[in-house]
Amino acid sequence: MNQPSPNLSMPPFLMDNQFRYTDEELIARFQEGDEQAYTELVIRYRDKLMTFVYRFVNDMEQAEDIIQDTMLKLYTHKHYYRNIAKFSTWIYTIAGNLAKTELRKKKHHKVTNISQMGPEDRDYELPSVAPETDEIVQGEYIEKKIQAAIQNLPLHFRTVTILRDIQELSYEEISKIVEVPLGTVKSRINRARLQLQKELKDLK
Amino acid sequence: MDRYQFEDAISAYLDNELPLSDRKAFEDFMKANSDAKILVDSIRSNMTSVKSLSQIKTSGSFMSSLHKMIEFEKSRPSKKFVNRPSKTLFGFTPLYAGIMTVLIATFITVGINLWPESNSPVNTLPAYTGNITDAPNPAPENPAIDFEQDAVLAASESDSSDTTLQKKKIFKLGDQVKFVKDQR
Repeated sequence: MNQPSPNLSMPPFLMDNQFRYTDEELIARFQEGDEQAYTELVIRYRDKLMTFVYRFVNDMEQAEDIIQDTMLKLYTHKHYYRNIAKFSTWIYTIAGNLAKTELRKKKHHKVTNISQMGPEDRDYELPSVAPETDEIVQGEYIEKKIQAAIQNLPLHFRTVTILRDIQELSYEEISKIVEVPLGTVKSRINRARLQLQKELKDLK
Repeated sequence: MDRYQFEDAISAYLDNELPLSDRKAFEDFMKANSDAKILVDSIRSNMTSVKSLSQIKTSGSFMSSLHKMIEFEKSRPSKKFVNRPSKTLFGFTPLYAGIMTVLIATFITVGINLWPESNSPVNTLPAYTGNITDAPNPAPENPAIDFEQDAVLAASESDSSDTTLQKKKIFKLGDQVKFVKDQR
């Protein structure tokens, strides 16, 4: 059973029609065999998911691998989607679960901090701390500090914080993605924000 | 509103999800506690910083890599593709639904055929082939001996399922037995 390969590089159908179809309509078309609809869904979600997963795992290469796995799952398991939930909820759930699995795998590997290395171990060049431009450096510093603070959050707090404060999803949608009651989501977001505030106290 | 209630309500306040009365109580608490207001302002500022984090984009080779992965998956001998038929009956494919229906119908038919035809309890008792009016033993001449023999017989056959004969014997001795009740 040879299926036609999706034309991922050129989505002509999208150019004209991208505002005419909702995500749910696109996945329905894809389920009926429209490969262009798949391409459109990938284009719509690749960067959103990349931001979500990168903030989650803190590794660009790994995040991109996870997004590719997510999109491959979308392709191979398209019939698993049922039109009872929003498409975005479904795809975020897949990406989130894959990211969690990767993090669990990562935990089993021994991690060595740079601070724990001796000078002989440091055979690569660390980025210079000399300021090129004050604003750029400060911006990068703040971003790294926030990213580090997010990484310090427990996994269940991290997920809801990213989905709410970075992806700006509704509480209801987050509740469906993480599969916990709405009240629990609200409580987790509140506690995560309080914890972030403690971590970022000196960031002023 | 105490400190714990205040901390629990911070996110709801910042997301405009507090009812009006609670919102008023929250703001009154902030007015009375300057550190509470500092905390709320700090969290609001952090939220803005988090929101303004740069969007991460996939690399330029993302689509071509994905295309290769799809091609690879397609060419694998054990394909991962899951093609569910869009039309199902209670979660079964039409083929399996048909097979299930036939199996259930067969089960019901066989079940009915195996069930006893009549509900009469007579069938549950063993059949007595002898003449029911005939006495099983010749009647003795001495009624006292007859009574003793019958009593022993009744006791020894108390677990017998054929209760009709036993009843018959007792009925036969009815004239010879005097109940205590009758002596009064």
